[in-house]
Amino acid sequence: MSVSPILEVRNLQISFVEQNRNRLVLRGLSYSLEKGRVLAVVGESGSGKTVHALGLLSLLPAAARISGGEVRYKGQNLLACSAEQLRQIRGAKIAMIFQDPSASLNPVLTVGQQLIETLRAHESISKEEAARKAIELLDKVGIPNPEKRLDEYPFQFSGGMCQRVMIAMALALKPDILIADEPTTALDVTIQAQILRLMKDLQQEYGMAVIFITHNLALAAAIADDVLVLYGGLCMEQAPAEKLFTHPLHPYTQGLLGSLVSVSRKTEHLPAIPGNPPIAGEPLPGCPFAPRCSQATEKCSQKLPPLFAKGSCYVRCWLEEPHGSTH
Amino acid sequence: MVARIEISHLDKTYIRKPWLWGKAMLRPVLQDINLILPENRVLGLVGESGCGKSTLCKVVLGIEQATAGTVKINGQDIAGLSGTQWKPLRQYMQVVYQDPYASLDPRMNVRQLISEPLDIHGLHLQKKEREQFLKALLDSVGLAENYLDRYAHEFSGGQRQRIAIARALALEPQILIADEPVSALDVSVQAQILNLLKEIKEKRKLSVLFVTHDFAVARFLCDEIAVMYQGKIVEQAPSEELFAHPLHPYTRQLLSAVPSLGKKKQLLAPHAFWEESRNEWPCPFAPRCQNSLDVCQYTLPKIKEVYPGHQVCCALENKLSEEPL
Ligand SMILES: Nc1ncnc2c1ncn2[C@@H]1O[C@H](COP(=O)(O)OP(=O)(O)OP(=O)(O)O)[C@@H](O)[C@H]1O
Ligand SMILES: Nc1ncnc2c1ncn2[C@@H]1O[C@H](COP(=O)(O)OP(=O)(O)OP(=O)(O)O)[C@@H](O)[C@H]1O
Ligand SMILES: [Mg+2]
Ligand SMILES: [Mg+2]
Repeated sequence: MSVSPILEVRNLQISFVEQNRNRLVLRGLSYSLEKGRVLAVVGESGSGKTVHALGLLSLLPAAARISGGEVRYKGQNLLACSAEQLRQIRGAKIAMIFQDPSASLNPVLTVGQQLIETLRAHESISKEEAARKAIELLDKVGIPNPEKRLDEYPFQFSGGMCQRVMIAMALALKPDILIADEPTTALDVTIQAQILRLMKDLQQEYGMAVIFITHNLALAAAIADDVLVLYGGLCMEQAPAEKLFTHPLHPYTQGLLGSLVSVSRKTEHLPAIPGNPPIAGEPLPGCPFAPRCSQATEKCSQKLPPLFAKGSCYVRCWLEEPHGSTH
Repeated sequence: MVARIEISHLDKTYIRKPWLWGKAMLRPVLQDINLILPENRVLGLVGESGCGKSTLCKVVLGIEQATAGTVKINGQDIAGLSGTQWKPLRQYMQVVYQDPYASLDPRMNVRQLISEPLDIHGLHLQKKEREQFLKALLDSVGLAENYLDRYAHEFSGGQRQRIAIARALALEPQILIADEPVSALDVSVQAQILNLLKEIKEKRKLSVLFVTHDFAVARFLCDEIAVMYQGKIVEQAPSEELFAHPLHPYTRQLLSAVPSLGKKKQLLAPHAFWEESRNEWPCPFAPRCQNSLDVCQYTLPKIKEVYPGHQVCCALENKLSEEPL
């Protein structure tokens, strides 16, 4: 028997509306997420990772439109929900850690006020109770002397501490799904390890599912069950984590893994993927990676490959086209 | 060698005044920092979140005032400099801030953002030259020239960070203060930017104060690395020496926790609670230290040079393991 997924994204398309045209920055993304699983989303800067996450909860900036697709949470299409229904779901059922700290931290409220407000928005508990919980949460994300920190403002926290406050806020209500957009970029390895432990515990205890957006491949390898690689607004490869990192199929994924900086030896020059990424919303007729791909053929720049299934993996590359198919 | 930045006995304490009455709260953040950034060198600053790295950058930039000690830029003490006296220094010393969302004015387009520093410092190029210059600069950080007329708010996190880097490099500074400049970038773009910084450093004798928590990045770019713990420098050495012989237990702990694709398990911390740091211990790291002995409870460790250029601040200094990790 197959488990029904807690979140199902079908052909999600997002564009930015400009004076005379639409720029399609997410060109149809599909995946499903089961309870208790972790999906890592990795990919080029500007490939649409954040826009996709904001789209799931209808939190896109004013200039953006969802131009197609479905997002089903426990069967309910979130894109068709009323503002009130969405308010019930956001935070309590699906929580988000934003890449942009100013999207979740209000500079004129103390950290304590913000945590207490979050806790009380969905649960009927007293102020004192909420304050006690807020201290506990700050302690869990490793903020020293949390009781003293409660009445401080975000500017009095360091970059990594703000990030941890946002994590605490997102985890406060024990959501079914956590969408974490680059949640640990400002954290050092030891604190990051503690945060990951915290997430793992919630995942095991309550079956929280996680969408983890990151560019840290080692991190994705360590925590994810599945990995989705985005490039130019398209899914290039999707595979179980152990497959993707040992046998990457797409040349872009291979290039990413090849660009990793090594800590165990001194390098003189880093092997970056040559060339620059495509401009979002100005799609080429073929594969968006073709201009930078060393293995590209003429076909690649003329015709966009579909996602080919290969065992438990999916890959969007003509080189992986199954033999015998007619084209 | 010329010292571009010289920091001596720097202390910084944040003072939180009570809202109405009561005692002011003091938060000592930096204690007795001594650092020298020579010409054509990259000095890496690594350490735990909240240990004071950004504060140190802010003091050097004159955004925060030192509580004690001195900061000299090119031999000039920055204490009490007036706005007009700062101006030439600002041209000379550029900065990339930690949060790319807060550091760019969202109402300016990329052309304005990058040309603004040029205008402020009166570097007027001919229109055509300027256009060329801007395009080349954008290209070097991996952004297409078509982006010149877009506004900062239209960019993703990593794209903004690259605009911030381009903006900082526009004036061809001699000193760059870079606070986690590549941590928002995917690995391929990161590699491109790191190569660029290295190239510029060699071409223009750029000096960089480079804050990072990524040891791999530090090893690639930094000539010298200082490890900070709770506002103190606990170890400092030439980069390769530090990786070959990490001495301080904190450095060793950090290095052994570096994630890599092969070392999956270590990424998750054990089920342990955070150690409340006990302020009464003279060594701030002692409560978390695996090596700590009785002496750590009553000896205030002093920073000592154990090998030429390699300093460590630990009461057990001559009993420390030197095995590479
Ligand atoms: N408000 C906006 N107006 C116009 N374009 C936008 C806006 N926000 C994002 N974009 C564009 O949409 C594309 C996708 O951006 P997104 O923020 O999703 O990237 P990302 O994958 O999260 O990148 P990063 O890793 O750098 O955070 C980018 O090319 C960006 O320029
Ligand atoms: N304006 C301020 N007022 C009071 N305390 C502050 C202020 N700015 C920073 N702090 C405190 O100083 C300490 C050091 O902060 P700093 O931003 O320098 O850390 P950091 O090493 O850059 O950390 P991260 O890696 O998380 O960015 C933290 O405890 C922080 O809460
Ligand atoms: Mg993003
Ligand atoms: Mg900082």
